[in-house]
Amino acid sequence: MNYPVWQLEFLGGGFLIAVIAIIHVYIAQFAVGGGLFLVLTEHLARRRNDPGILDFVRRHTKFFLLLTMVAGALTGVGIWFTISLLNPSATSVLIHTFVFAWGTEWTFFVIEIVSLFIYYYTFDKLSTRHHLIIGWIYFGAAWMSLFVINGIIDFMLTPGAWVENNNFWSGFFNPTFWPALFFRTFFSIIIAGLFGFMTASFLKDKELRTTMLRYSAKWLLVPFLLFLGASWWYRAALPPHIDVIIFQKMPQLRNAITLFLVCSPLLILGGLIMAIRMPTGLSRTMATVMLVIGFIYFGAFEFLREGGRRPYIIYDYMYSNAILKKDMDLVAESGVLNQAKWIKHRRVSALNVQAAGRELFNVLCLSCHSIGGPLNDIRQQVRRSSPAELNLIFATMGNERPYMPPFAGNEFEKRVLINFLNKRMRK
Amino acid sequence: MDAVSLIPTPDAIPVHWFWLHLLLTFTTFLHFVAMNIMLGAGFIAFTAPFWRGNDVMPLNSHIARTLPYSIALTINLGVAPLLFLQVLYGQFLYTSSILMAVYWLSIVGLLIISYYAAYVYRLMDDRSGLGRLYIGTTVLLLLGVSLLFSNNVSIMQMPEVWLKYFSDRTGWLLNFSDPALIPRYLHFIASAVAIGGLAIALYFEIRKRRGATDGEEWIKLGCKWFTVATIINFGFGFWFLGALPETAYNSATLGGKVFFILVVGSVATIIPSVAYAQTARIFPAAAWALVTVLLMTLARDILRLTYLKPYFNLSDLPYVAQYSPFIVFLLAFIGASYLVVWMLKTVWNAKEVSQ
Repeated sequence: MNYPVWQLEFLGGGFLIAVIAIIHVYIAQFAVGGGLFLVLTEHLARRRNDPGILDFVRRHTKFFLLLTMVAGALTGVGIWFTISLLNPSATSVLIHTFVFAWGTEWTFFVIEIVSLFIYYYTFDKLSTRHHLIIGWIYFGAAWMSLFVINGIIDFMLTPGAWVENNNFWSGFFNPTFWPALFFRTFFSIIIAGLFGFMTASFLKDKELRTTMLRYSAKWLLVPFLLFLGASWWYRAALPPHIDVIIFQKMPQLRNAITLFLVCSPLLILGGLIMAIRMPTGLSRTMATVMLVIGFIYFGAFEFLREGGRRPYIIYDYMYSNAILKKDMDLVAESGVLNQAKWIKHRRVSALNVQAAGRELFNVLCLSCHSIGGPLNDIRQQVRRSSPAELNLIFATMGNERPYMPPFAGNEFEKRVLINFLNKRMRK
Repeated sequence: MDAVSLIPTPDAIPVHWFWLHLLLTFTTFLHFVAMNIMLGAGFIAFTAPFWRGNDVMPLNSHIARTLPYSIALTINLGVAPLLFLQVLYGQFLYTSSILMAVYWLSIVGLLIISYYAAYVYRLMDDRSGLGRLYIGTTVLLLLGVSLLFSNNVSIMQMPEVWLKYFSDRTGWLLNFSDPALIPRYLHFIASAVAIGGLAIALYFEIRKRRGATDGEEWIKLGCKWFTVATIINFGFGFWFLGALPETAYNSATLGGKVFFILVVGSVATIIPSVAYAQTARIFPAAAWALVTVLLMTLARDILRLTYLKPYFNLSDLPYVAQYSPFIVFLLAFIGASYLVVWMLKTVWNAKEVSQ
């Protein structure tokens, strides 16, 4: 209502942000767990005085640096860019409410960058003690980044008392903060094991390869039980209505739930197989498959978490289409075309009825629906429904369809929008 | 329809705007320093082989080694000003970004490619043949990213061009109608090349003081780049000044007076910097150049306020005080600074200088 709408059609409906966010979060979680993996594996190498393991740590650090520092950091910037383009109002709330949380996270990011560069380039230059301290500093800063970001991400799903009091700390330490923190911490350790498989499978020395693959398998398997416990805790901490939305009311989330359930045993089984001595080619293939399963697993979780917020972008505060819950009556009374700032056709006539319908669609629907794209394609959904069924969908938004916001405009605008969908999207 | 009616309503800030602006200016200054070093040194590494042939070693080897650091730092130090800019000017910045959404989002992809190209350049031995392709990719993409940033700033500061949205809502707008866009961009690039040259001189000067003997030629070369690029930049600067709206330097207004003083101050501080560089006194040259960058950063802040004055004043921002997160941030900032200094000192004390 407040900002212009980027008319993104094929890649709309959350597809763009889903792709960037899942890639980023997977790498970013690796940046946390992988930091612990590096420093503990170096401890192991120093304790055993094993140059083979130390060399593995060095190679793994190079891979880690190139992946997390470039793709990880820049996809993080990418998420920021993307959300500000797709939902500037929600981004503005997050930025203004948590500016100093973001700022604090940035200071940890500075420490991460400096310590990781130093860690990688000083294996032979620093004393063992100092090198290990630098490794621990890296991990500490990376985990603190997770701590801060976790507060902001979970605020969107469960803002808790913030909705009433607008207090920073109420929003930050929201009802799912702690379970989500443990959930993500254990998951980041699991991801460290998955990436450990990848670099270990490229080791030429057979003995060392087997040792490091088994070592990486422990990183996957040991935290898995704790991870499952944290998952249960996370679900238990969700307000009941969100639990119902995710697990019962949203047909779009069923595939993600299935994927999450199927990938759990696959990861455990794969971890056990990786501990068996295998030929180089097979272990590399398996390592790649495991990494992909981990990606799908984590992607499914993120998809569920994002989906669970519907019909809100900030739960109980701002709907997906950026209309504040408290403003719904006002908008219904005066109309979307009057209330929204970036509207050309405020008065509807026979000449501009389609253009006005398109503007209503942009403001009210485009944040969740693509046009002809892979996610929530409006064309498919309109074609699947008869005109009468389409009317019924509008009548049940926000109640029998709790994952959709109630229609925000007035009755006339509803007819204009339905007319636009029937005329332009049914083709 | 007028542009004023399109300006989104801003959200409330949690501390007085002065603190946020202080942080914006300070972190922008840090970002500019890192960006100038990154882009300038990269530009010199890319262009030097065109007239020096293969006679670019070990200069390009050192630039290749340090470029990934400077890119990482530039991006990192760009995050903070972008954050504070959003808090103070989000209603303008989000709008301009949406108007040029496709270009704006492409920055992420361009940066990833340029960053990886810089790493390939670092990891490969060839600094003249194929290496030129990689450093060229890095530099050209970074130049492209800079142009997109300049465009966003231009659209952000000129709500009167926002009406173009109604003829193109798909995020393909740029603002080449702004007469100040190109000179502003060239002014930034020339300044980056100048500071990049000075950074090269400083780098080899530090190595020299630690016992290296291979730096004399590159100190001279760096100073030469600094001097020539600065002289050229006077031309771009005057072009930029001429392209600005009169209100920017109108002596009848406080903003105009302050802007004028800052510009004169920048000229007054860059002159001793160039003079010191001519006599190879690199440390004072660098110190004066840093003062110039700071003054230019402040001038840029004033210019933004002047552009937006018909539409917005910082004191208009709604303000609901919550200072405790700010204190946590300051403590984290102090702690992080301490840790970074400790780590750098540890490495500095342990590092051997390769001859």
